[in-house]
Amino acid sequence: MKRYETILRVCATTAIFVGSFNAEATAAEGLRDVIDREVEAAWQREKITPSPPADDAEFLRRVYLDLAGAVPDYDETVAFLADKDPAKRAKLIDRLLDDPRYAQHQADVWDLLLFTRSPPGYDTDKREHFQTWLRKQFAENVPYDQWAGAILRADGNTVDDGPPMFYVQYKSKPEDATEAITQIFLGVQLQCARCHDHPYEPWKQVDFYGMAAFVSRLDVVTVGKAGQMNKYAIGERPSGDILFTGPAKDQQPGMKGEPIGPKFLLGDAVKEPPLPKDFKEVKFTPNQPPPAPPFSRKNELVTWVTGDSNPYFARAAANRVWAQYLGRGIVHPIDNMSPSNKPTHPELLDVLARELAGHDYDLKWYIRELVNSRTYQRSSRGGSGAELPQWFESARTRPLSAEELAESWRTVTGYAAAEKLSGKKPETSRFRPLEGGYVLRFFGKPYNGVGDFQGGLHEHLYLNNGPLGTVISSAKGSLQDALLTGSESSDAKVDRLYLSLLNRPATESEREKIAAYVAGGKPDERWREAIWAIITSSEFRFNH
Amino acid sequence: MHPQCPTHEHLSRRAMIKGTLATASGGLVMNWGGLTSAAGPVEEVKKRKKHCILLWMNGGASQFETFDMKPGRSTGGLFRPISTNVAGTQVCELMPKMAQKMDRIAVIRSMRTSEIDHPGGIYLMHTGYRPSATVRFPEVGAIVAKYHGTEQSDLPNFIKVSTQGDAGAGFLGPTYQPFGIGHRGDLPQFSTSQIKSDVELRRHNLRSFVESEFTRERANDPARMHREAYESARRLQGAQQAFKIDAEWEKHRELYGDSAFGRRCMLARRLVESGVPFIEVGQSSYDSHADNFSWHKGLVPPMEHAWAGLLTDLEQRGLLDDTLVVWTGEIGRTPRINNRAGRDHYVRNWSTALAGCGVKGGLVYGESDADGFDVKRDPVTEGDFFATIYQALGVDPTIENMAGSRPVPLAPFGAKVVESLLG
Repeated sequence: MKRYETILRVCATTAIFVGSFNAEATAAEGLRDVIDREVEAAWQREKITPSPPADDAEFLRRVYLDLAGAVPDYDETVAFLADKDPAKRAKLIDRLLDDPRYAQHQADVWDLLLFTRSPPGYDTDKREHFQTWLRKQFAENVPYDQWAGAILRADGNTVDDGPPMFYVQYKSKPEDATEAITQIFLGVQLQCARCHDHPYEPWKQVDFYGMAAFVSRLDVVTVGKAGQMNKYAIGERPSGDILFTGPAKDQQPGMKGEPIGPKFLLGDAVKEPPLPKDFKEVKFTPNQPPPAPPFSRKNELVTWVTGDSNPYFARAAANRVWAQYLGRGIVHPIDNMSPSNKPTHPELLDVLARELAGHDYDLKWYIRELVNSRTYQRSSRGGSGAELPQWFESARTRPLSAEELAESWRTVTGYAAAEKLSGKKPETSRFRPLEGGYVLRFFGKPYNGVGDFQGGLHEHLYLNNGPLGTVISSAKGSLQDALLTGSESSDAKVDRLYLSLLNRPATESEREKIAAYVAGGKPDERWREAIWAIITSSEFRFNH
Repeated sequence: MHPQCPTHEHLSRRAMIKGTLATASGGLVMNWGGLTSAAGPVEEVKKRKKHCILLWMNGGASQFETFDMKPGRSTGGLFRPISTNVAGTQVCELMPKMAQKMDRIAVIRSMRTSEIDHPGGIYLMHTGYRPSATVRFPEVGAIVAKYHGTEQSDLPNFIKVSTQGDAGAGFLGPTYQPFGIGHRGDLPQFSTSQIKSDVELRRHNLRSFVESEFTRERANDPARMHREAYESARRLQGAQQAFKIDAEWEKHRELYGDSAFGRRCMLARRLVESGVPFIEVGQSSYDSHADNFSWHKGLVPPMEHAWAGLLTDLEQRGLLDDTLVVWTGEIGRTPRINNRAGRDHYVRNWSTALAGCGVKGGLVYGESDADGFDVKRDPVTEGDFFATIYQALGVDPTIENMAGSRPVPLAPFGAKVVESLLG
C-alpha cells in the first residue's frame, strides 16, 4: 500500500514536466510499449536525438549474443536476412529464448556475478554442479525469486544439489556474505557501513551487522565425497551472536562489544524464541548432514529477501536485467540503489519492478519484453559514442565475454562446422581449440570494476602474437576452405567472409579492398590474414 | 586480534626459502643475448619529463628494522642501530649501504594512515584514497603516466615490475593502465611477434582499414580504446630492447647487489633512461606475523643494497634530479612483538622515505614516541604523502579529474604538501 502511494506521488510530480504520462501499463499495451513510451518521453524532455533503428543485421548479431551468448553462423545469418516475414524479429527472439544456449548463457552471466572470476573461497573453482543446477533453473524458467531463494536457503549439498556453493565461498566470512547478498539480490552497497556509519546513506554500521547476524551462524560442513570432490553442506548453529564494538578506527584491544541481533535492512528486528535452559551448542560432525537449528535466522532472511515486504528485491532484479540488455541501469551503477543515487527514469523503474513481481518473477517473459522493445532495437550508429548511453538513445557497446569470444570465434571461422563434419568427438573444453586459461586471463575481466570496458595492451599481445591462429581452421567445412575452394566470384567470396564473420554483407569499399588484398599474394595466406584482421577488430570484439 | 589477511599475503617458511633462492640466483636466470644499451642520451631524457620509481615493500616492512630504531626499549627488537653519513641520524644495522646514502634521502618517521589490512592498504598506498564502492581511484603510476607520459610512446608509460595493487588506471581509463613485468624483469607472455615484419605490416594495414570502416559511423569509446591498446601492443615490438638487460646486468651486478630485486631496480633505471615516467618495483614479502627478525634479516639487506645502487646509478647518470624514488609498503608493523616473535599490522605510526627530484637529502621528518606507538610530532597522512609526491614531480596535487560527474583531486581534499621535505 505504501509503495503504491509513493508511485502515485512520483507520477504526479513528473506530470508537470512530462505532460500527462501515466507510467502504468494499461491492459492493452505490453511492457515493451511502456518502455518505449517512457524512454522516448525522456528524449523529448532532454532534447535528445536518438540513433536510427537497428537494421536486421545489427539486430541479428546483437540478439544472438545477448540471448544465446554466441553469434549466428553463416547459414542462420543468410536465412534471417533473406526472410521477408515482418514478424521475423519477434519469432527469432522466441526461438532463441527456447534454445538451450539461452540457459547456458544466463547461467554464465549469473555464475560470474555470484562467484566472480576469482571466488574467494576454497573449492569454489569446482562448481560444475552449481552451474548445472543454475542452467536448469533457466532451462525450466524457474521464477527468479524461487531460485534466488534456493541459493540463499542452501539446502542439500554442493554436489547432489548445487546451491550451497554460494555460501561455501564465504566460509567464516559472514561480513563478506552480507555484502554479496545485499549487493547482488538487493542492489544495495553496504560495505562502507561495515567499518563506519555511512555519511550520505540511511544505513548505519549497526544495520550492516543486523544483516550480517542472519548469516553469522552458518558454517561449511563436509558431508561426503563424490570421487575427488568434497560435498559441502551449510550448517546453521542454533546460537551465537555478533559482538559489535563500534567504528573500526576506534577499535582497541580487549574490547568485548555488544551482541547484535538479526534485523532486516531498514526494517524490523527478528524476534527469536529463547533457547532452552539446558541448551548445548551443536558441533557439526563431518560426513553427517548438519541438523537444522530450532530457529533458523537464515530462513528468515530468505523469506524476507525474496518476499514482497522488502522494497529492494524486485527493483534490484528489474534494474539488473534491464542493464544486462540495455547497458546502463536505470539506477547506475546497478548495485548502488541508494537514496543518493537517483534513477534516470523513476516511473519506468517502478513499473518494471511491479510488473516483474506481478508476473511471478518470470525472467523469460521480462527479457522477451525488453528485447522486443524499440529501445533495445536501436542502432549503435550515430550517438554520443558513450559506451552506455544514459538515455538509451543508442545501443550500448559491450565487450564479448571470454566464453562468448571463444564460442563466436569457433562459429565464424567454421572451426565448429569442420569439427562436426570430421565426425571426430570434439574436445570438451568450451574454449577449444584455444587454451581456456589464456582466454580467461586475457579476456575474462574486461571491465574496470564500474562496468567500463578496459581494453588493455595484454589482450592485443595475445591476439597479435598468441595462438589465435589455431581457431582459423582450413579443414573441410571451414570458412577458409569455402573461400579457397569455392567457385563464386571474388565479390561473392568477400560477402561470404563478412556474412560469416560479422553477420552482415560487405560494403562496396570492403569488397574492393579485400578482393585486392587477396589477389595480391597467395590466397590461403591472404584469406587467413583477412580473417585474422576481422576477428580481432572492434566490430567483432563488441556487441553493439 | 589483528585483522584477517588472505593466506597468500602471509609468509610461510617454504615461501621464505623460495624467496631466498630466487634472490641468490636472480642474476643467473636470464637467458637473453648480450646487447648494447638502448638508452638514449641523458640530456634528451632530462629535457623531457620527470620520472618516478616506486620501491614497493609488499606486506609492509617494519619501521623498527629499518628507519625508526628504538634501542633499549621493549619494542626495539633484535637489531642494533648504526650511524649514517648524516650526523645524529641512525638506521638499522641491516642497512649499511643506505646508511651511507642518508644524505640523499628524506625519511618520514611519522606516517599515520587509515587502512590496516593488506588489500585496503595496498589500494590506499597506491592511490592515496581508501577503497570506495563508487569511485575507482587511479594509482599514482597512472597519474604520473598521464602528466609526464608521452603519447604514442613505444614503451608503456606505467610499468609495474613484480608488484602488487590492481587499482590500475581507475577512472583515468585504459590509456593509463599499467603494463606488468614478471619478477625477473621478463616481458609478459606473447609479447614478441613471430611474424615476418612485411607480413605484419600488410596485415596491420588491412586491420586498420577494417577498424576505420566500423568507426566511420560510430564515435565509439570502447572501440577507440580497443584500437589504442592494439597500437601500443604493436609499438611494443619496437621497444623490447629496453627489457633485455643481461649484458648490462653483468656490469652492474655489484653496484645493485646480486639479487632479483637488484636486477629489477636496474631495469627501472634503464626504463627511466628510455623515457618511461613511472616504474614500480616490488619486493615480497614483509608480512612477518611470525619470525619478524629472520624475515627482515633475509629481505632488507638485498633490498637496501639495490636501493643504494639505484640512487648511485641515477646520480652518476644525472637522472636523480628528475627522478623521484619513493620507498613504501602498504602498512607498518606493530611496536609490540607477539608471542611468535612477529610483528602484526600497524598504521598509527610507521616510516617511509623519498629521494631525488628536489627532495632534501639528509632529512628526518616527524618523530615517533619513545616506544614507537604513536606519532609524537608532525604526522603525515596518506593524503599528505601523495600530495608531496605530486608536488615533487611538478604536478599540482589539487588538480581535479572527473570520475563520471564528480571532480576528484589528485591527492585527497585537505591533504597538505610536506613543504619542508622539498628544496
